[in-house]
Amino acid sequence: MDDPWMECMDHCIAVTKEAGKMIREALQKDISIMQKSSPVDLVTETDQKVEALIISSIKKKYPTHSFIGEESVAAGAPSILTDSPTWIIDPIDGTTNFVHRFPFVSVSIGFTVNKEIEFGVVYSCIEEKMYTARKGKGAFCNGVPIKVSGQEDITKSMVLTEMGFKSDLQHFRTMMANMESILTIPVHGIRAPGSAAVNMCLVACGAADAYYHIGIHCWDMAGGAAIIREAGGVIMDITGGPFDLMSRRLVTASSKAIAEHIAQKIQPFPCGRDDTED
Amino acid sequence: MAEWTECMNFGITIARQASKVILEAFRAKKDVMLKSSPADLVTETDQRVEKMLISRIRERYPTHKFIGEESVAAGEKLELTDSPTWIIDPIDGTVNFVHRFPFVAISIAFAVNKQTEFGIVYSCVEDKMYRAQRGGGAFVNDVPLHTSGQEDITKSLVVTEIGAERDCLALCTMTTNIMNLLAIPIQGIRAVGTAAVDMVLVATGGADAYYHIGMHCWDIAASALIVTEAGGVVLDTDGSEFDMMSRKVIAASSMPVAKRIAQVVRAFPCTRDDEDPARVNNGGHCISSGL
Repeated sequence: MDDPWMECMDHCIAVTKEAGKMIREALQKDISIMQKSSPVDLVTETDQKVEALIISSIKKKYPTHSFIGEESVAAGAPSILTDSPTWIIDPIDGTTNFVHRFPFVSVSIGFTVNKEIEFGVVYSCIEEKMYTARKGKGAFCNGVPIKVSGQEDITKSMVLTEMGFKSDLQHFRTMMANMESILTIPVHGIRAPGSAAVNMCLVACGAADAYYHIGIHCWDMAGGAAIIREAGGVIMDITGGPFDLMSRRLVTASSKAIAEHIAQKIQPFPCGRDDTED
Repeated sequence: MAEWTECMNFGITIARQASKVILEAFRAKKDVMLKSSPADLVTETDQRVEKMLISRIRERYPTHKFIGEESVAAGEKLELTDSPTWIIDPIDGTVNFVHRFPFVAISIAFAVNKQTEFGIVYSCVEDKMYRAQRGGGAFVNDVPLHTSGQEDITKSLVVTEIGAERDCLALCTMTTNIMNLLAIPIQGIRAVGTAAVDMVLVATGGADAYYHIGMHCWDIAASALIVTEAGGVVLDTDGSEFDMMSRKVIAASSMPVAKRIAQVVRAFPCTRDDEDPARVNNGGHCISSGL
């Protein structure tokens, strides 16, 4: 039986490769930076160009499909997820890394139909690692199958997260207290590479055992969610409930045991939702 | 000095030889032992690689001295004299190594009259050979390195480590430091898990500063020279002169950024690396609260 979305996925991989090339070329030149919601929420002309490249390429081939793209949403487009075939796009995940030429920068695309993620593609373009996953067909990095570590013992795990300034002091303190709670379990260590999509792929290929974050967006998570699941990992809400792509938060891990342990330790703080007005 | 160039080239050769052992083990299952805390790991590969490096250097330079992480952990005296001394971390990033997280480095520094003459950091999973000789500039895979030159702390990306300490005072100090830096604001905090690689990322310009409290001389001796030869600065966390035995460092693209970080960051008490020559079987972990 034909896979109706395989052709979309092949097109996705091809356009992602082009996008990655554009990003690598931009890294050779000066990068001029604009700020979005705050002095630490950066965007560059490359983010906007890459998103335009991806969307126009997909629109030409699939004119009825819908889009949720980070820069389009920043420019006022809606970010409600419908049942339509929808491409959820982060043109540069890790813009701060990109600006500094810190080595983790990725293009992230998740494709949903009836609100289910059908495939994910994350291209860590400086490392030239193309992570892909089609629902039910496994996860791959540069064509080689990948699997999570399978670690079930939280005291032997390495955990990824990100730390960013929060203007609400209570939220800021909760974020840091969460990190301390995880460290004192104890875990082997915490790392912060700077790109949510890459973090998810690092868990998917077994290089880390868990990643948790409060405050990211659906376009950061959609591609990686498919890859983690197909690599045998779990993904859930930080409360331990089911993963909600629009909730702006997640825990992903090599096993249910580790994910649930982290979910028990983390205190939530409000972060808004992608499908409501802030 | 030309006489140390031959030593440096030898150091590069043996670092490559050692990396073959590390990369083979990188893929394999590992038995892990704990040192000073449940997060301070060592493996048989750390110990094997250090023995291999030291025996090859001894064969070639029989009068030279050594400070090696695993030798010190096994009870050897840690003392920096005026003699030509190799300061070795066989695997910087042992936790990364155990987890196959792709930042693992061999760090080799060489000091004469207590001054670092050259530094080598080989990030072996990435195959990036960082090196610097005093007065000769810094390079990665023979390409010259320059720090970013960033002088504005609000445009800086800062790297640090969460570290192996799990006691209250160290953890609280660490998180307070991160919060105070983020609030300046800076552009972000990153952590990749090895002091040597964190610091050479400053030398490449990929980050603007690194700071940490609690690492050891073997983690930073080589990369400190690489940073300064790339045009950066290294200081103590209180803003005073860098001292590789103090277990504290700020490495930055510029003096203004380094000084600004020194204003914000507080250290928790740490036993100096050269303080207790008769240390027994631990890496000398940092002093916790209750003293």
